Amino acid sequence: MKHTPVSILARRRLAISAGLLAGALSGTALALAATLALPVTATAERSLPTAGLLLDATHLPPLLTTPGEDVTLRYDIHCVPAQESLGSGSELCSGRGSVFVRAGDTGPFTELQLRVDPAAEEGRYAAHVPGEIARSRWGFTYYAVLSAGPGGATVRLPEAGADAPQRSLPMDRAVDVRLGTHVFGAVHHAHARVAQAPWGDGPADVGLEGGRAVPPVGGSSFDVDASGTVHVLDHVHRRLLRWQHGTQVPQSVPLAIAGTLADVSIARDGTTYVLEGARAGQGPLLRAFDDEGKALGAAEFTERTVSQVRLGADGPIVLQQPSGQWVPVTVGRGPQPDAVAVAEGIPGRSLPGGGEVVVLRRGNEVRVAITTAGRVLRSWRVASATPLGEVQLAEPLGTRLVLVVRLYTDTRDEFRVLVLGPAGLEASASLDSADWAESAPLSRFRLVGSSLYQLGSTPTGLFVDRFDLEVTS
Amino acid sequence: MRSSGRAFLSALVAAFSLAVVGTAGAYHTRFVADNCNWGAPTPTSYITRDGSATVALRARYEGYQWGGGCWNDNDRDDSPGDPTEDPNTGGEGPDCSGFTFKVWRESEDKSNAGFYQWGLFRFVHGPYTAAGFKAGEGAPNVTLSKSALIKMDALASTKHIGMIYAKNADGTDQIIEAKGEAYGTNIWTRTYRGDASYSGVRRTGWSA
Repeated sequence: MKHTPVSILARRRLAISAGLLAGALSGTALALAATLALPVTATAERSLPTAGLLLDATHLPPLLTTPGEDVTLRYDIHCVPAQESLGSGSELCSGRGSVFVRAGDTGPFTELQLRVDPAAEEGRYAAHVPGEIARSRWGFTYYAVLSAGPGGATVRLPEAGADAPQRSLPMDRAVDVRLGTHVFGAVHHAHARVAQAPWGDGPADVGLEGGRAVPPVGGSSFDVDASGTVHVLDHVHRRLLRWQHGTQVPQSVPLAIAGTLADVSIARDGTTYVLEGARAGQGPLLRAFDDEGKALGAAEFTERTVSQVRLGADGPIVLQQPSGQWVPVTVGRGPQPDAVAVAEGIPGRSLPGGGEVVVLRRGNEVRVAITTAGRVLRSWRVASATPLGEVQLAEPLGTRLVLVVRLYTDTRDEFRVLVLGPAGLEASASLDSADWAESAPLSRFRLVGSSLYQLGSTPTGLFVDRFDLEVTS
Repeated sequence: MRSSGRAFLSALVAAFSLAVVGTAGAYHTRFVADNCNWGAPTPTSYITRDGSATVALRARYEGYQWGGGCWNDNDRDDSPGDPTEDPNTGGEGPDCSGFTFKVWRESEDKSNAGFYQWGLFRFVHGPYTAAGFKAGEGAPNVTLSKSALIKMDALASTKHIGMIYAKNADGTDQIIEAKGEAYGTNIWTRTYRGDASYSGVRRTGWSA
């Protein structure tokens, strides 16, 4: 048979159609079979925690006290109730426990039994600290032993108990600073924009988590080294972006990280420390990388929550919860994450030059102290008529202290930079919060010399601004 | 014939590949189908903030599922890597507003301020979005000044909501929340309280 071009085309179309149909059917069947066979969802484990099992405990430590202040230590204890269906039986877990407290940091502890405060909506398990201990000139140290239900597990808080107890120090000669009512809108502008990048997926862009389901999250954290190089953790793209002083285009350094919000700190030797929060099935991790992004090791935290990594006098230190203690971390070089030295936890952040800085926001007051060897050297009480949010930064600058705190109402927020001196407030400035995208919680400011750097974001991108404080150390 | 055969084979291979890729792309787990139920909730009259904290704690380390509302308590995400934009993948875990609804033990009827126990395996999201909570929608929910918020009150934006689990000394909060597919459901330190995009929300009617 002689075929015309048209008939050949028709047969080929028929063959293509048959092929498409057969391929689609067989491919779909195979893919469905493969999908069903994949162990994507293992059968759920229906075993549930034992009734009475202690799940968690929380405590807000009174890190700094004022002369004559009355102190009650409060805890919340959570456990699985006696009956499996919550609310159908015992709503409250039958927690119990004691606080072991002593004046100063030596000598025997006195046991105080925690009692349920029926009027309290939070911190329901309470123990009043006797005045002779609470008002000791050396402060007091304490830890709690908590348990839940008959046969329930017992936990210590902090985990190391008497080896690394909570510590509260007296602020006998604190400098009072009163901010009054904050006036929003009078913000200072930066002296320089030292780094910026649009949101996107290009080599010089910063990645943005987003979509219909989540708010914008991007540009986890940053640090600035002594040479002025700005390091931004682009967690979405699992990399560090570096802007060397005076350059516009960042260098990209891939990092083997999880790709979730994380804090970052750069050591003098170039080591990059990335602090990742907990994820499904995994606790927080501190990862270390060399200057080129090669993984050096990791350390795993036993406490549930971490929020900051900084460089202390002897290496990286991390703030963890529920103890609220800073712990030194040694990142090993082995395949398994190292443990964290909880027995060395302290309430203050150790400073590279020695000493510690202790911060407590209590209502509309921030208490901050420079301490050494368990004694307060200098301290300030900053009161505000406008609600105070988180303390983003508290860094010594010679005999001064630079404090950055967020002030907020229900509709507005700004950061306030305070330069606190021996006699009180020496300088102050308001900064736009510039936090369109979420970053790690306490990652928005760094102080290098007398330059304050701010990590900010807008709907178009991310930036790092520099503010010169015009004070010398 | 030879030409038609080649065309058939080419089309078969192309369609097969596209079907495999396309179907596999429609990620779907059997977590909900295999584990969850749609039973009636249990009305209850005595509800505490501590009790709700315990409900929330049992979701820690579990997964996140946009539009989801069912999870177990084995401390892992049983359906990791869900596509983030698809609420129908049958994965484990709540999303942020469904988590708050279940932890606050609310009714699917917005006009009902009563308390209802939903088991872990009861698949329910509830009628509220994060924006709805932020606006104080529903009989049980009210907006509240952020500085007055305490444990198990919530901070909500138009796209996210998390509950206050504990306060930290530095003024941050520990928030218990269903954060996203990459994060799952857990407790993290957050600065939502001071962030102007977040508002304070309280579930009313606690017994203690």
